[in-house]
Amino acid sequence: MSSPAVEVDNLTKIFSLSLRRDYLVAVQNLSFTVAAGEVYGLIGPNGSGKSTTMKVILGLMKATRGSTRIFGLDSRDVRSRHQVGFLPENPYFYKHLTGKETLHFYGKLCGLKKRDRNERCAELLALVDLEDAADRRLGGYSKGMLQRIGLAQAIIQRPQLVILDEPTAGVDPSGSRKIRDLIFQLKEDGVAVILCSHLLEQVQEVCDRVAIMQKGKMLREGALNELIAIEDEVELVMKNLPPDLQAQIEKLVNDDAQAQMVRAGHPRTTLERLFLSETEGEEGSAHE
Amino acid sequence: MSDTVTYRPPIFSLQRVWTLASSTFTQLVRMKTFYFLAVFAVLVIAASNLNLLYTPVQQLKVIRETSLGAMSIFSWLFAISATAVLIPRDLEDRTLYTILSKPVPRLEYLVGKLMGVLLVIGVALALMYAFFSVILYFQEYRIISNEMAHMAQNPRYTDQDRASEAAMIAAYGPDLNLLIAVLAVFLKSAVLAAVAMLVSTFASSSLFTIIISTVIFLIGHFHKMATDFWVVEQQGGMITRILGEILVLVIPDFQIFNIADSVSGGQTVSLNLVTQMSALALMYVAIFTIASWFLFSDKEF
Repeated sequence: MSSPAVEVDNLTKIFSLSLRRDYLVAVQNLSFTVAAGEVYGLIGPNGSGKSTTMKVILGLMKATRGSTRIFGLDSRDVRSRHQVGFLPENPYFYKHLTGKETLHFYGKLCGLKKRDRNERCAELLALVDLEDAADRRLGGYSKGMLQRIGLAQAIIQRPQLVILDEPTAGVDPSGSRKIRDLIFQLKEDGVAVILCSHLLEQVQEVCDRVAIMQKGKMLREGALNELIAIEDEVELVMKNLPPDLQAQIEKLVNDDAQAQMVRAGHPRTTLERLFLSETEGEEGSAHE
Repeated sequence: MSDTVTYRPPIFSLQRVWTLASSTFTQLVRMKTFYFLAVFAVLVIAASNLNLLYTPVQQLKVIRETSLGAMSIFSWLFAISATAVLIPRDLEDRTLYTILSKPVPRLEYLVGKLMGVLLVIGVALALMYAFFSVILYFQEYRIISNEMAHMAQNPRYTDQDRASEAAMIAAYGPDLNLLIAVLAVFLKSAVLAAVAMLVSTFASSSLFTIIISTVIFLIGHFHKMATDFWVVEQQGGMITRILGEILVLVIPDFQIFNIADSVSGGQTVSLNLVTQMSALALMYVAIFTIASWFLFSDKEF
C-alpha cells in the first residue's frame, strides 16, 4: 500500500452545545500523517481532542471541516474500515457472549471465512492469554481480561492500522507488558498503530512519532527521539567503572571551561522491570 | 502475524446482517426472554381447564381467545421493549464503537438488530402456536368424544345430528385460520418493532422510546376512525385536518392486523386479506427502516 495509513488534513470539529448558538471547538485545524508500519502516539490532557480525532478517523463522527483518510480512502467510506482495528477505552462487549464467541462475532463482521476464523480465534486467544477463559461469558471477565479480548477483536482481520485508546487501562503490569510486546509485534509486521495513552512512559517506549495536543490544537509533533533529546547534554553509561577512573573523568570535565558534570551515579531500573523480575521469579519458583 | 487479507467487503452483506441478527437473538434469549413461554403455558392450561358452564364450542373459543390474546400481548410488549433497549445499550457499553469501526454499514446494523428482535418474536410465536395447537387438539378430541357419548345415550339424536355437532365443534379446533391469526400477530409486531427502532434512533432514552412507541401503537388502532373523520369527511378546521392527514400518513394502521377476535369466533380469513396484511406490513417495515437509516446515518457517537 503506497498511501499513508492515516492522513488527517486540516481537521476541525465543532460541537453545538445547545440551541442558543453555543459551540465547543473540540479539534482545530489538525493535520498529521501516520505512515504504514509506524507507531504514532497521540497524547494530551483530558478534553484535548484526542478521542474526537480518533472517532472522526473511524467514521463515528463527521468532520466539521477538513478530511481524514485511511490508506487513501475517505474515513466516511465504510470500506476504509476493513483495514482498521479499534480498541476503545474501557470497552464492554456483549456480556452474553463467551470470549471465543466474541472473536467469532467480530471475525464474521469482517467477512472472515469459517476456517480462517477458527484458526485466527485460536491464535488470538493464545496471544492474549485467554485460552482458559475462552468459553466463559464476558460478564464474568475482569477489566484486564476485557481489555485483552478487546485487543484481540481489534486485530481479528489482520488490519493494517490499529487504533488503541488507553489499551493498558486497568491491566496489571504483566498484561501491560504483553500489550506493549504486541504493539512491537504489530510494528514488526508493518502494521501502523495509533496509540492514545496517558501513560507517557509507555508512549515513549513504543512510539516512533508523537503528537501533543491541547484544547484541540497540535502543540508539538515529530519523531520521538528528536522531541525528547536534550541538545546540550550528553549521556554516557558505563559498566564496571573503577572509582579512580570515574574520578579522573570528573576531573577532566571539571578542568574544561565549558563542560559541566550534571550528575553521576547508578542508573535506576524501572519499577515495572523490578515488579516483573520479582513476580515472574516468584511464579517460576512456585511452578517448580 | 500473517499476511494482509486481500478480501474486500461488499457494500451490503446479508452474512453480516445475519451475524448481527443471530447475535441479537442470542442476546435476547440469554436475557431469559423465553421465560414468558412458561407463563403462556400456564395460561393456556388454565384456560383449557376452566369449567364455567360453557358450551363445548365456548370451551374451545376460550382457549383460542386466551392463547391469541397472550401471544398478541407478548409480541407487542416485546417488540417495543426489546427494540427500545438494544441500540442505547450498545451505545452505553461502547459495543457500538467496535461494531461500527468494522466494515459494517449502519443500515446493516439496524436491519440486523431488527431481524434479531423479529427472530425472537417469530420463534416464540411458533413455540406458543405449537403448544396451544396441541392443547386445542386434545381438548377438541375430548369434547367431541364426550358430546358423542352424551348424544349416543339420547335416541332422538340421529347420526346426522351427531356428525353436524362434531363438525361444529371441530370448526373451533386447530386450523389454518389460527396460523393466519398468529401470522397477523407477527406482522403487527414487526411493524411495531420498526416503529420503536425509528424512535430509538433519535430518542434520548429507552423510556422515551417505549412511551412514544406505545402511544403510536395505541393511536394506530384508531387509524380508520381518524381517516374517516379528518380526511374523508373533512371534519374540523384546517389545522385539525392537516394534523389528521399527517397522522394517517405517518402512523401505521394497526387495526388491519387485528383478526384474532374474528378467528377466535370461528370465522375464516380470505387469502386476499392475508396478502393485503403481508404487503402492508412489509411496506411499513421498509419505510420505517429507511427512515431509521436516514436518521442513524447522520448520528455521531
